[in-house]
Amino acid sequence: MSERLDVMLLDDEPIVGKRLKPALTKIGCEVEVFQNPKEALDRINEKEFDIVVTDIRMDEIDGLQILEEVGKKSERTKVIMITGYAMMAVAREAMEKGAFDFIAKPFKPDDLRKVIARAAKALGSTIDFEGAST
Amino acid sequence: MPIIIISSDSYKTGREIGEKTAKATGYDYVDREILGPVAEKSNVQEEKLIKALDEAPSFLGLSSKLRNKYLAYIQEATLGQLLEDNVVCHGLAAHLYVLGVSHALKVRVLSDPEELASQLSSEAGGSAEKVKKLLKRQDAQRKRWSLEAFDLDETDPSNYDMVINLSQIDPDEAVKTIADMTAYRKFQPMTYSVKCLRDKELASRVRMVLMERFSDVRVQADGSTIVVETKAIKREKQKRTEAIKELAGGIAGVGYVEVHVANDIFRQAAESSR
Repeated sequence: MSERLDVMLLDDEPIVGKRLKPALTKIGCEVEVFQNPKEALDRINEKEFDIVVTDIRMDEIDGLQILEEVGKKSERTKVIMITGYAMMAVAREAMEKGAFDFIAKPFKPDDLRKVIARAAKALGSTIDFEGAST
Repeated sequence: MPIIIISSDSYKTGREIGEKTAKATGYDYVDREILGPVAEKSNVQEEKLIKALDEAPSFLGLSSKLRNKYLAYIQEATLGQLLEDNVVCHGLAAHLYVLGVSHALKVRVLSDPEELASQLSSEAGGSAEKVKKLLKRQDAQRKRWSLEAFDLDETDPSNYDMVINLSQIDPDEAVKTIADMTAYRKFQPMTYSVKCLRDKELASRVRMVLMERFSDVRVQADGSTIVVETKAIKREKQKRTEAIKELAGGIAGVGYVEVHVANDIFRQAAESSR
């Protein structure tokens, strides 16, 4: 893999992408932000991302569907689920379907950075994300 | 890795399965051995802590207030152990207060009734009929205890991820099944479930401190934010809020304390009628 980490950020609330993109760019991620899950799916079919960060509850297509679609397209892509409606059953379902991690909103950008760092390590990245976040 | 919480209708059976599961998985085993240090730390006799775990409050036994206090001590110590991860826990009622934590695999183990009867018979003596009655009473007592202490029926299978009946499955096979389940992705720790457990542990530490002065407190944690609910009469509200904020604010890990004081209508009515 290249040293740059390609990250898709999908959340129907614009503020989430706006807030998280700079935090991830700062640690060396190339971030594409989407608010529309359909457009995100189209992009997933065009490009293999290293990491997909997706909200769960969205209109028409939910995060669990995105997770399944990413899984069909690329086994190596790490999917991180974020949700304001965290519950044990959904968390277990997401993990069972192959999510890399599951985070309840609200969270601090640094919480996501830590998970991204773990995902990068699992992908074999040599970038020191922990160091970059300080 | 997941944490495994074993509950059983017989302490001996639960312990046997718990110890074997710990050996098979390479996890630590946490049982009532931790009650010695808990008793020492809280200056309570260990027997009383065991009583709080085993018996429903009664006229001659523990009062509800004391039972809740002792259970709060046990809860705090147990949750601290569970944060360590890779743990098999048994005999500390964790199945009743580790709720909503997705990496906690909860298993209910039902003893072989014949073996349980012979166990009881050797302990209490008496005829088969007497033992049968004793077993029935024991079941009803456990149900009452769990409902009173945690508002959950521990005999209800829906409170567990798996129920194993040892009259149908060999104990070693049961252990292998439990150990195999730890590999399931859905029971793996994640940021959310670890946070849930940390929140519970912090809430239990705060509750334990506050209960020394305010026995009715309910505490919830979200990160470093603590929400405390209690009851007081009107003129005491301000004082109680300040006292809780001061006590809770000094506990490690606590950032912000929010206190909700509801009106204690019974005490208020008693005060008014004086």
